[in-house]
Amino acid sequence: MKEKKSFGKWLKEHKMDIAAYGGLVICIIIFSIVPPMFGESIWTAEKLANLMSNVIVLALLSVGAVFVYSLGNMDISVGGQVRVYALLMVLFANMTGSLLPGILISLLIAVVVAIINGAAGQLLRIHSIIPSLVFMMVLGGISSIAYNKIGSRNISITGMDLGFFKSPIAMVVVLVAEVVVISYLFYFTKFGKNARAIGANPIAAEQSGINLLKYKVICYVIFGITVVIASMFKMGYTGAASDSTGTGFEMDVMVALILGGMPLSGGMRSKVSCAIVGSFTYSILAIGLPLIGVPTNTTFFVKALVFIAVVLITCRKKDGVLPR
Amino acid sequence: MERETIIEVKNMHKAFGPTIALKDVNITFKKGEIRGLIGENGSGKSTVTSIIAGMQHATSGEMFYKGKAWKPHSMVEAQKAGISMILQEANTISHVTVAQNIFAGREKEFSKCGVISMRKMNKAADELLQKFGVGHIKASAPIDIYNFEDRKLIEIVRCVSDETEVLVVDETTTALSHEGRKILYKLIHKLSEEDNKCVIFISHDMDEILEHCDVLTVLRDGDIVGELSGEEMHASDAVKKIRYLMVGREIGEKYYREDYDTSHSDEVALELEDISIGNIKHFNLKLHKGEIIGMGGLSGCGMHEIGRVCYGLEKLAGGRVLRNGVEIKTPLQAIESGIGYISKNRDSEALILNASIKENIVLPSLTHLSHGTFINPKDEAKMANNEIEKFRIKCNNSRQWVSTLSGGNKQKVSFAKWMAKDSDVIIMDCPTRGVDIGVKQSMYSLIEYLKEQGKAILMISEELSELIGMADKMVIMKDFEVTKEFMRSPELKQTDIIEYMI
Repeated sequence: MKEKKSFGKWLKEHKMDIAAYGGLVICIIIFSIVPPMFGESIWTAEKLANLMSNVIVLALLSVGAVFVYSLGNMDISVGGQVRVYALLMVLFANMTGSLLPGILISLLIAVVVAIINGAAGQLLRIHSIIPSLVFMMVLGGISSIAYNKIGSRNISITGMDLGFFKSPIAMVVVLVAEVVVISYLFYFTKFGKNARAIGANPIAAEQSGINLLKYKVICYVIFGITVVIASMFKMGYTGAASDSTGTGFEMDVMVALILGGMPLSGGMRSKVSCAIVGSFTYSILAIGLPLIGVPTNTTFFVKALVFIAVVLITCRKKDGVLPR
Repeated sequence: MERETIIEVKNMHKAFGPTIALKDVNITFKKGEIRGLIGENGSGKSTVTSIIAGMQHATSGEMFYKGKAWKPHSMVEAQKAGISMILQEANTISHVTVAQNIFAGREKEFSKCGVISMRKMNKAADELLQKFGVGHIKASAPIDIYNFEDRKLIEIVRCVSDETEVLVVDETTTALSHEGRKILYKLIHKLSEEDNKCVIFISHDMDEILEHCDVLTVLRDGDIVGELSGEEMHASDAVKKIRYLMVGREIGEKYYREDYDTSHSDEVALELEDISIGNIKHFNLKLHKGEIIGMGGLSGCGMHEIGRVCYGLEKLAGGRVLRNGVEIKTPLQAIESGIGYISKNRDSEALILNASIKENIVLPSLTHLSHGTFINPKDEAKMANNEIEKFRIKCNNSRQWVSTLSGGNKQKVSFAKWMAKDSDVIIMDCPTRGVDIGVKQSMYSLIEYLKEQGKAILMISEELSELIGMADKMVIMKDFEVTKEFMRSPELKQTDIIEYMI
C-alpha cells in the first residue's frame, strides 16, 4: 500500500520525464515493429548511419540551446547562422585548402552575434526573440547576396577528405563530448546555475547578486559555439552548402526541446537530457515515418500530432484558480 | 439570538502527499458573524477556507452550504454561488483597466450584440468604487498605475457583490496601510452587521483579530484546538491564552529584546551620504557595527526605497552609499562587500519560488563555493542542510521546492541565504510580514544574536511594536523625510511615535 502511494507520487513528480522518455521509447518500438511489415527496417547499418547524421546536427544545436532556453529566452537566428557558417567554411576551405580559417571566422561571428543577441534583450528591455529575429533576417540577406554573387544556389568543397564528418563514430564521440562539457557547465558551475535562476525569477536572481547582462551573454556565447560545431557537421556530411542549408533549424530546435520536456519558460526544470531525448524522438520520426509508408508530404501532420500529444501530456492541468 | 448556519464543514480531511494539512476538521460558520481564524503557518487555516472557496478539494469529508451539499469545482463557481475570497497575494490582471478587472468574467452584463460598452462598464465600476469609499481609484485607468495596496482594494471591490453570502479575507491586511485597513474593516462590519452576511477573517495580527472578530477559532497542525467567544476574547488574559493554543506550549515571556543596552562599535558599517532619489532629498544615515537601526513609517513614506538604495538597487539622483569607504552601486558589489538584503516582497523578489530550498540558499554563495569553475554538489547540500537545521526549516529535504513551504518557512529561507553567506550588514524590509508568532520569536532572537556577533542591521518595518522591541535607534519617516529619531528606551510607547508618522 505504502509502496503504491510513493509510486504514484513518483509518477506525478516525473510526469514530464515520463512523457518525454515515453515518447522516445514508443517511437523506437513502433518503428522497430512496423517497418519490417513493409519490408524495411531501421535497424540496418545504413539506416542507423542515416539516423545519426540526422540526429547529430539537431542534437548538437539543441544541447547548446539548453543554455538559452533555460533563461526563458529563445533564439530563432539559428537557421540563418548555420547557413552563413556553412557557406564561410566551404568558401575558405576552397580558398586555403584548410577548414580551420572558416571555422575560426565562424566562431568569431558567432560570438559577436551571441553578445548582441544576449545583451540587446537585456539592455533594451525587449523580448529576447526580437534581436534574434533581426539576425535571422540579416543573415538570410547576407547568404542570399553571397549566393547571388557566386551565381549558384549551392557550393561544394573540392579536393578535401571530409570522411571524419561522415563517420557515425566521430559523430557519437563529438556529441558525447559536447554533452559532457555542456552538462558540466550546466550542472556544476555558476554558469548553468545562474542561467536557471535567471529563468526562474530574474528579480530574485539579481537581488542574489547575479549580473543578468553578463550571464545572459555567456549563455548565448555557449550556444553560439555549439551552433558552429553543428554547422561543421551539417556542411561536412555533404561537403557542400546551399542557400537552403539550415532552413527551419530554429523551429526544429524548439520542437525537439519541447518534445524532450523542456519548459519554454526556462528555470529550474530545464535539463540537458531534454535536448538529447527530444532530438532523437524528432529524428526517429523524421526517418521512420517514410519507412512505414507515410508520404513525405504527410509527415508534417504526423509530427504535429505527436507534438500536440506531448504538449497536452506535459502541460499543467488547469486549477480552478481565478486569474492572477 | 441564535444565528442561522450558512456553512457547515464535517470531518474534513486534506493531505498533500505525506503531509497532512487538515485532520478531521468540523466547523460551522453562521450568518452575521465575523469569524476569526488564527493559527501558525501551516496550521491549516488557509486550507480550510480555500477548500470552501473552491480553490482546492478536500481529500475526504463533507460540506454543506445553505443546507445543501457543497462541492465547488472552481473559485469561479464558488463566487457565483456567493462565496468570495480575497487572497494574500496580488490577484489582479495587469495591462487592462480597473473596470475590466472588477467585472472580469461578468462582461456580458455590459454587452449588446456582442459588443461590450466600456462606457457603461466604467460608469458601473466608478459607482462601485465610490460605494466602497475608494473614489480615488478611477475605473477607466489602467490598473498598472496603481500600487499594491490600491490593487488589493480593487480586488475587494471585485470580490464583494450583492450576491456575496460569505467573504473570506485571507491575510489581506498585511498588504494594506492604515487607510486601506479602515476601508476593509468598515466593509466587513457592514457585511456582517447590516447585511447579515458571514465574514471569515484570517490574520496573524492578534490586535486586529481581537478588535474585529465576534468569535475566534484557533487551529494547530490541521486541527481545531479551541474556540473563543466574544467575551472570552476580551478577557484580560486572552492574548496569552490564544498564543498558548496556537503554539501548544508556553512560549515564555521572552519575545523582543529584553536589554536596553544601545552600545555598539564606533566603526561605521554602512553610510548613506546625502542621498537623493525621487522624492527623497539629502538623506543621511550611519549604521555601525553591532547596531540595529529601525526605520518606521507608513508604507509610502520612502523607507522601503532607502532599503533598496542601501543595496544598490536604485539609481541615485545624488549622494553615495559607502561600505568601508567603497561606493556601492549594484547588488553584486553590495553582496561582495558583505551586505545582504531581504526584500519585503518575499515571493516575487527575495526568493525563487520554483526552485529548491538548496538552490535558493546557495545562490548568493555560488562564487564562494566555486573551486575554479567547479561547484561540488556536496558543498551545496552541506551548506543548505546546515541552514535548514539551524533555522529548523520544516521540510522533507533540501530539494523540496520553496513554493510548497508555508510563509514562515519561506521567510526562514530568505534569512538563511544571508546567514549562509555570512553577511556583515543585513537590510531587512518587513522581516516578519505574514509570519506567525513562533517564527517571529525565532527571528527576533536571531536578530539579537546577530547584534551580539557585531553585525549591523537595518530593520525596516511597518510594525511599530517590533521596532520598539528590537531597535537601538529608531528613524521615523513621513512624506520622504525623517521626522524624528528615538533611542531605545523602556519608556517609549507607540503613541509617542505615531504622531511623527501620520
